[in-house]
Amino acid sequence: MYEDTRYPVSPDVIARHAEAWRLIGAPGAFWSGAERVQMVAEARAATACELCARRLAALSPFAVDGEHDTVSDLPPMLIDMIHRLRTDPGRYTRAVFDGVLAGGISRERYIEAVSVVNAAVIVDTMHAALGLTLPDLPTPEPGPAAGQSDPDVVDDGAWVPLTRVDDRTATVTGLPGAPNIARSMGSVPSAVALFFTAFRGHYALRDIPLGVSQPQAEFIASRVSALNQCFY
Amino acid sequence: MLLRASGQRENRDFNLNAVNDADSDPGVDHADHLRRLTEAAIGSRWGELVTVRGEAAAAMGEQAMVDALTVAAGFNGITRVADATGIPLDPTTQKVTGSMRAETGIDAFDYVAKSARYDRQRRARATTDNNA
Repeated sequence: MYEDTRYPVSPDVIARHAEAWRLIGAPGAFWSGAERVQMVAEARAATACELCARRLAALSPFAVDGEHDTVSDLPPMLIDMIHRLRTDPGRYTRAVFDGVLAGGISRERYIEAVSVVNAAVIVDTMHAALGLTLPDLPTPEPGPAAGQSDPDVVDDGAWVPLTRVDDRTATVTGLPGAPNIARSMGSVPSAVALFFTAFRGHYALRDIPLGVSQPQAEFIASRVSALNQCFY
Repeated sequence: MLLRASGQRENRDFNLNAVNDADSDPGVDHADHLRRLTEAAIGSRWGELVTVRGEAAAAMGEQAMVDALTVAAGFNGITRVADATGIPLDPTTQKVTGSMRAETGIDAFDYVAKSARYDRQRRARATTDNNA
């Protein structure tokens, strides 16, 4: 990755993106490597999907029906979820989450899909933002989903259970040592590992190791949150 | 909250309204370039971004321009994790950001309120379709 850019991309970011790509291609806890790669392909297809474009232009995200321009044989509810999350995150609602579960996809499988799709969003956004061709899809490794042992999670006000933590005391950053975003995919520890493999290197709560200052990074982060209508 | 906190650490008072108001200056260095880079990248305006990258690199330096896009790309992913899991604010954030969230319009993004707003439209449409 990034072999053909003249821009000084952080070596840490490059290494992490390559590792995230490898992890996506490997079997996850609940999806095979081939299925995870299909999720990335579907997220990319969403950016050119005619139905998604019409929905984005509509006053309500539920005002327009139709068929997605799809490139996989993933379950239809999952395809709809991936397309909505990729193209219209600001209007992604509880009903979409409930619909996926009602379609027979477990919470854990949902969370793993969220991790895969959003790790890929980071990698693809970085490439596109620098004017680079998107990397080839990850190479799927053979084998079924690996399963996992039961994680220690608790219902704590989110749509999904969160990693259990005892100490919520604010640190010097103003956030707890384990903020809710770090706990959000706790039902699937390998999903947490995948996503943060891609994300770390892009930001730090303090002493950010990049060529922008901490306030500059916070302004960019806040602006992205506003554009994506992210409450958290 | 983190923008305000970093201002406090640097004894500077940043304008938080600039997060949601394009006409406001946040008070951070090269804010206009940062805003244009971020908005073009998150809005997938790749053609426009060619020019924006060049102008930002000339003003801030190439490394800062690339690293601004690095932060933006990371948050393009992590905001979607929050959006897809409906996580609440952390307790401290909830406690200390009430007025700031109201002033900047961030409260409109609350997952419960947002789901209620759009899902109500979905239910109303389903009822209309069933009655047709």
